[in-house]
Amino acid sequence: MPRILPKVLQNLFRKPFTVKYPYVKRELPKGYRGRPAIDREKCIRCWLCIRACPDRAISIDRGTKTPSIWLGRCTFCGECAEVCPTKAIIMTEEFEYTTLYNVT
Amino acid sequence: MTFVLPVGPQHPSLKEPEFFRFEVKGEEIVDVDIRLGYAHRGIEEAFSRRNYKHNVYLAERICGICNVVHSTTYCQTIEQLAGIEPPERAKYIRTIIMELERIHSHLLWLGVAAHQIGFDTLFMLAWRDREEVMDMRELISGGRVHSATNTIGGVRRNVKLEHIPEMLRRLDKLEKSTGYYADLWGSDRTILARCSKVGVLSKDDAVKFCAVGPVARASNLKLDIRRNDPYGTYEALSFDVVTESEGDVWARGTVRLREILESIRIVRQALHELPSGPLRVPVELKIPPNETLERTEAPRGELVYYARSNGTETPERIRVRTPTYGNFASMKSMFIGGTVAEIPIVMWSIDPCFGCNDRATILDARTGKVSVVNFKQLKRWRR
Amino acid sequence: MIEVLNFFLNSLVFPGLLFASLVGLLYIGVDRKVTAHMQNRIGPPIWQEYLDFGKLMGKEDITPRAAQSVLFNAAPLIALGAVVTVMLLLPVASPQPALTAVADLIVIIYLLNIPAICLMIGGYSSGGPFGSVGAARHAVQLFGYEFAFIVSIIAVIVRVGSLDISAVVGYQAQRGWILLDWRLVPALIAMFIGAQGKLLRVPFDIPEAESEIVHGPLTEYSGPKLAIWRLVYDIETLVIAGFIVALFLGGPVTHTIGGAQVPGVVDFLIKTFLIVLVTTVVRNIMARLRIDQALKFYWTFGAFLAILSLVFVLVVP
Repeated sequence: MPRILPKVLQNLFRKPFTVKYPYVKRELPKGYRGRPAIDREKCIRCWLCIRACPDRAISIDRGTKTPSIWLGRCTFCGECAEVCPTKAIIMTEEFEYTTLYNVT
Repeated sequence: MTFVLPVGPQHPSLKEPEFFRFEVKGEEIVDVDIRLGYAHRGIEEAFSRRNYKHNVYLAERICGICNVVHSTTYCQTIEQLAGIEPPERAKYIRTIIMELERIHSHLLWLGVAAHQIGFDTLFMLAWRDREEVMDMRELISGGRVHSATNTIGGVRRNVKLEHIPEMLRRLDKLEKSTGYYADLWGSDRTILARCSKVGVLSKDDAVKFCAVGPVARASNLKLDIRRNDPYGTYEALSFDVVTESEGDVWARGTVRLREILESIRIVRQALHELPSGPLRVPVELKIPPNETLERTEAPRGELVYYARSNGTETPERIRVRTPTYGNFASMKSMFIGGTVAEIPIVMWSIDPCFGCNDRATILDARTGKVSVVNFKQLKRWRR
Repeated sequence: MIEVLNFFLNSLVFPGLLFASLVGLLYIGVDRKVTAHMQNRIGPPIWQEYLDFGKLMGKEDITPRAAQSVLFNAAPLIALGAVVTVMLLLPVASPQPALTAVADLIVIIYLLNIPAICLMIGGYSSGGPFGSVGAARHAVQLFGYEFAFIVSIIAVIVRVGSLDISAVVGYQAQRGWILLDWRLVPALIAMFIGAQGKLLRVPFDIPEAESEIVHGPLTEYSGPKLAIWRLVYDIETLVIAGFIVALFLGGPVTHTIGGAQVPGVVDFLIKTFLIVLVTTVVRNIMARLRIDQALKFYWTFGAFLAILSLVFVLVVP
């Protein structure tokens, strides 16, 4: 008799472990590293984030003279948020980045 | 008459691109030719173009599954190179995350191995319980896969006190289910029929072909860098080096499953003994000319990092030898004499990680000539 | 005129193509859902198989140059024809099959083999290594399960004393289900083992083991042809379940509950569904065997059970 049979039949009457993702969302733990966000008001233009970024994803926005993050290169390591002296860059808990149009 | 059965570069039993050319007589394998290099990304070259601190994240991306052990080994290498001693608490946190990684890597292995022998229920259940580890890692490092916790001279994130009860609870749950899987792996008739006495690697062959990690330990070779050449906190923690004597696929699975239980023990100890203190020490990134070699025990076996500095902020050379590379040589003696039906499970039994493996050298299979490809050539081939 | 019309109605609507494909696709949908819950997942909705079929039908049909032959294209259609014909020869709504007095059990045994043979032909003519290996494995497996399958049918035939399937059902209506006869219980188990192999389900999904040889004989099929193969597979599931119901579980019986007549087809659906559920459970608790192990299993365990049953029937009065 296969050993897994009781477990399999038991599973029939258990709540499924998976969730219907876009409709049901899992709660994220505190401190999850999601998409970095920049508060342009707080930025003091020290450019430490540009030096710290391992992927060279941060560049200076010519219009506002503040850093801007190219998410295509960003690996969400959180180094920029760590070095920022005024906490102008923070790691949000957002993890859904799909867009309907091409942003470059 | 033999005919050639190509497995790869695209094949459902390979999760990554690699080419295996099997010469088959009916269902029996008479010869195998392994051609590597399909996942080459030029990472070693890229290492010498970034500074030491940025390279931590590059090292993490050599492999997705064993990213922490790569970044830890890299950090340990550079710390040794610069003569820095990380604080005790940092070492413990590294150990915790590395062992969690071993657990999730082995559970992943179990799931895929079950899928390779057509046992999809075990596959789904093993991956369900793997979620516990992923959640734990998410809890303490902020990322499910890439932890980004290590940095040169310590760690960046603390294991908070309020996380510890939650983690211990999850570890208990995990221990129970892993015990169940170990039991199942050793007693289910169909699993035994598919795995036992398949892809046997004898102890002599394991020594001859320099097998590493669980593959060597399944051939009764007591080889574990955590014990043979202790690094980090492993000297202070008690654990057993798991060995099995059969040397077949079943033994490799048993070694991995029992190692999960050992890892759970290590994580528990580390959580209990977690010392207080600073997380990291300040580092000076201009490292004087020096060279060093560091080895650690990755989930798949021995991982070696070699680094040479030249007085600037960037390393002159970083060389990585991943465990999969060490196990490729022993693959041939596992395959020959087996049948086609054994290919997926035997191939998976060494837990290959081709993304780790393919970096710099190319072996021309026809002439046997080894050539190192430079950046210009690669650029030309890309076109 | 009426007869011809009736024939077309039978073969195309009930119990032929339309009914069989609707029920077959639904059964496999339920099978997938139950499998998912056994693995602690949510899984696809039970009508997923209809969607898959529709989507595959609308896809582009890509045939590799090496596979462009009449055989490759005709194989799924012949297989579909065979399984739908078996549907006409099974008692579905009443103890009498839709086509009466045309064929007996021997013909059904032959027809049940045609999908497997077509699969082999399709695999060999596909021109790929995976197709040929899959077809070769299927041929080997065919010699394995067929013996147990046929000997257990012969045991039933000897017990009933007739080759006519309606006679088998009529016998059970008078004397109770063959399942309840202890002499034929080993035959039922052998039949299930054979059916598991015929339906290519774990532990006998060796010819299309996806991690070893991609999808076996079906590797080069795509689009509508693949959709027809799926339909063949799904109807085959229903047909084999129906065959076991007719032989062992008394076929379709018309019940009367509280004065209202429940048609025999409801009984047929419930019984076949239970048999499909049993095969679903079996496929979820085991690993796939290797081809030599499967063959050994069939020729020792399966054949032993079937022959045991036959001997019981012949010796014990």
